[in-house]
Amino acid sequence: MLRHVLRRLLSLIPMLFGITLISFLIIQLSPGDYLAEMRLNPIVSPQTLEQMRANFGLDQPLHIQYLRWLWNALRLDFGYSFAFQVPVMWLISSRLFNTLLLNVVALAVAWAIAVPLGIHAARRQYSWSDNTLSFAAYFSISTPVFFSGLFLMYWAYKTGWLPIGGMTSIEYEFLPWWGRVLDVARHMVIPVLVLGVFSVAGLMRQMRANLLEVLRQDYVRTARSKGLAESVVINRHAVRNAINPLITIFGFELGGLLGGSAILEITMSWPGLGKLIADAVLQKDLYVVMASLVIGSVTLVAGNLIADILLAYSDPRIRYD
Amino acid sequence: MGRFLARVAVAVIALGLAVWSPVTAQTARLSLPDVPNPRVIEASDVGRFGGTFVTTSISDPRTFNPIVAQETSSSTPLAYLFESLVETNRFTGEIEPNLAESWTVSQDGRTWRFKLRRGVQWYDGRPVTADDLIFTLDAAFTEGVQSSLPDVWTVAGKKIGYRKIDDLTVEFRTDQPFGPFLRSVGGLQPVPKHRLESTLRRGAADFNRSWGINTNPRELVGNGPFVMHAYVPGQRILYTRNAKYWKVDKRGQRLPYLARIVIEIVPNVETARLKFHARDIDMYAARPREYAELLRRQQAENFTIFDGPPTFGTEFLIFNQNPAGVRPPKLTWFQNVKFRQAVAHGIDRDAIVRQVYAGRATPAWGPVSPANRFFFNPNVRKYPYDLARAETLLREAGFTRGADGALRDAAGNVVEFVIATNSGNTDREAIGNLIRQDLAKLGMRVTFAPEAFNTLVGKLTGTFNWEAIVLGLTGGLEPHNGQNVWRSNGSLHMWWPRQERPATDWEAEIDRLFDQAATTIDQNKRRQLYNRWQEIVAEQVPVIYTATQLTQPAFRNTLANFSAAPLAFYDLETLYYRTPYR
Repeated sequence: MLRHVLRRLLSLIPMLFGITLISFLIIQLSPGDYLAEMRLNPIVSPQTLEQMRANFGLDQPLHIQYLRWLWNALRLDFGYSFAFQVPVMWLISSRLFNTLLLNVVALAVAWAIAVPLGIHAARRQYSWSDNTLSFAAYFSISTPVFFSGLFLMYWAYKTGWLPIGGMTSIEYEFLPWWGRVLDVARHMVIPVLVLGVFSVAGLMRQMRANLLEVLRQDYVRTARSKGLAESVVINRHAVRNAINPLITIFGFELGGLLGGSAILEITMSWPGLGKLIADAVLQKDLYVVMASLVIGSVTLVAGNLIADILLAYSDPRIRYD
Repeated sequence: MGRFLARVAVAVIALGLAVWSPVTAQTARLSLPDVPNPRVIEASDVGRFGGTFVTTSISDPRTFNPIVAQETSSSTPLAYLFESLVETNRFTGEIEPNLAESWTVSQDGRTWRFKLRRGVQWYDGRPVTADDLIFTLDAAFTEGVQSSLPDVWTVAGKKIGYRKIDDLTVEFRTDQPFGPFLRSVGGLQPVPKHRLESTLRRGAADFNRSWGINTNPRELVGNGPFVMHAYVPGQRILYTRNAKYWKVDKRGQRLPYLARIVIEIVPNVETARLKFHARDIDMYAARPREYAELLRRQQAENFTIFDGPPTFGTEFLIFNQNPAGVRPPKLTWFQNVKFRQAVAHGIDRDAIVRQVYAGRATPAWGPVSPANRFFFNPNVRKYPYDLARAETLLREAGFTRGADGALRDAAGNVVEFVIATNSGNTDREAIGNLIRQDLAKLGMRVTFAPEAFNTLVGKLTGTFNWEAIVLGLTGGLEPHNGQNVWRSNGSLHMWWPRQERPATDWEAEIDRLFDQAATTIDQNKRRQLYNRWQEIVAEQVPVIYTATQLTQPAFRNTLANFSAAPLAFYDLETLYYRTPYR
């Protein structure tokens, strides 16, 4: 097991090298650079623009720029943002917690709802409740996040029951600790609903299909025929086998914890990484984009690794060595 | 002292007219214990104290260092903390004393002396002195410091000279008289030397990063009406009142009235509008098409929407006349003034005003917005929508229309070209589509192709590989700041940048006019020079202007002392709440 983990971690090195090299080249070779907007400012002179290019190191040949970045990145120095003139790591960490908070809560909510619903639907296949759940699932899968986000925001505006986007209210700075927790919780209702419900649908369908598959197996018939209680058959025997594919999905979701909510964050003014990174890409704020790519790749690989380890625990048949 | 023969003590040069402004006249009567001569801000009402004003920004600030700040998302939040030497009156456009209590100019127009207001303090209690001013200039001019201020403070290629006379007096010298001096150098916002000196000594790179957005706001020491209390990335900036502020109302009460200001950072204009309707924010700069709907809702929701003044920005169509970018026959068409005039006549500006801006715009004929009351020249050649006139002009230029309806030049080439714009800007995309339809009526085959902003700028300033573009530029009061666009050697002289010598006589004349206006102190003479420039541009139409948008700010009725003045909607110092609120 340990060897497998080590091997996976080692394979991360060439992969990251490839990802960063290719993305660096693509960003740099696409037309325009960070200074494009400033070039259209009549007051800024060409000399000033040249000066800024030199400050940012953009006047160096491409390979020098990349090697310089790589050398610093190896020492965990991801450079400075062009736009904000602060370390990229500070910029990312100032938003990281907010994105994690939103996604972890949404993930927990989604799983807590989806798995029981999926089991329920599989046990009562084609019943009235299964059909209703299926319909709801198709409906929510086909509703884009930005639409449901905007719709709920409009509802919040009409009723005045919930805040319109954002993460904290204006009074936040002046609230006691429990007031702050409540304030953030109020702001999280809509985004968690949107993100959570969005993934409930997919997960529930997956759980239902897996369980139906397992319930047709011989060992389930055996368990039933030897007179085990139905709850034991389902929970001890069937669900444990049906959950394996979901663990793989869980790994992917772990990888998406940082980038998966970008669209919702932008529509709902959630102060997370989403808008920061989207803006950085549009403005070609090179090092912010590079750092977010590295973080994204590392979390994706880590998420899959965790899923593999969990799989090995949940299913004794899986061995990696 | 003897050199300043023509010096007028406490002269107020407002657009070249030496006048005593009422502001200076009143200051003699009012004083504060620490500031003997505070600045008096005139406002319609004497306000109440207290309350929080909530406004929005659609992007995070990028730096809190006013010397390095380049764009409005940084300079707007900093405007509450730092003050400039002189200020432009938002109603009249006249220049008024601010941090500088008075100034004088020598007879040859080359030496300026600014006297700072006594008793003005930084937040930490230190006085604001000439040393701070000198330090600010030194820092901006330091090699490697990422500032565009030196571009404004450079006259005919030479940086302005400056020296300290005494603790509160600074003298500036320019090689030649500099017409826009008061607006450009007067806009200088001193930073505290005692706070930033050590960083500058560590080098330009360190200075560029000092007072970044990761700085504790308490370290940002300014002298403005508010103190930054907190900055929460992606969420908001909070300010509290500066109790040591050096401006008073007409009763002599220390300003500002408001206790707090909050800038809510929202991802887009739509969210800002929703928050305005939900009464989360107090002011919303509505877009032209929203005017009618907001007008209907103002009674029920207790706000007022103003029929505001025009913006300073321009929107236009421009043809590439650069031989490095386009080849004949297209180059020949685009360089032909009759072709450009025909296009100018062929664009239905009223349709643009109606369809793109829902009537909240006026047709535009020149580079200066009518909002710029002093420099705007209304008497220039205009190009009303007139297809017959356009066709006559095209015939005169040798173009003919065949039986297939297509326009051909004298050599028989079909007139077809591509108009680009930056994609995502829906107004410009709509304008481009209307222009394409209009020009089709003249037989021109136009393709309209929006492109990514970065790509477009790359073509405009680098490869020159484009044919026609619909674009806009922001503008200001001072035409001199547009010299990079209008001088034939300018890098933003879009239709043919960086010419070694002017390609045409009229471009040569514009060069001369800009040179002359830059070195003339008499503002009325400068106005005449810039009037001539506007006439030439309207005659030659290198840039075909479309429409100038109007502004329509909406304010909660709980607020007072705001009005839709041409330059700004309120003075932050005198804004107040009628009723206790928030």
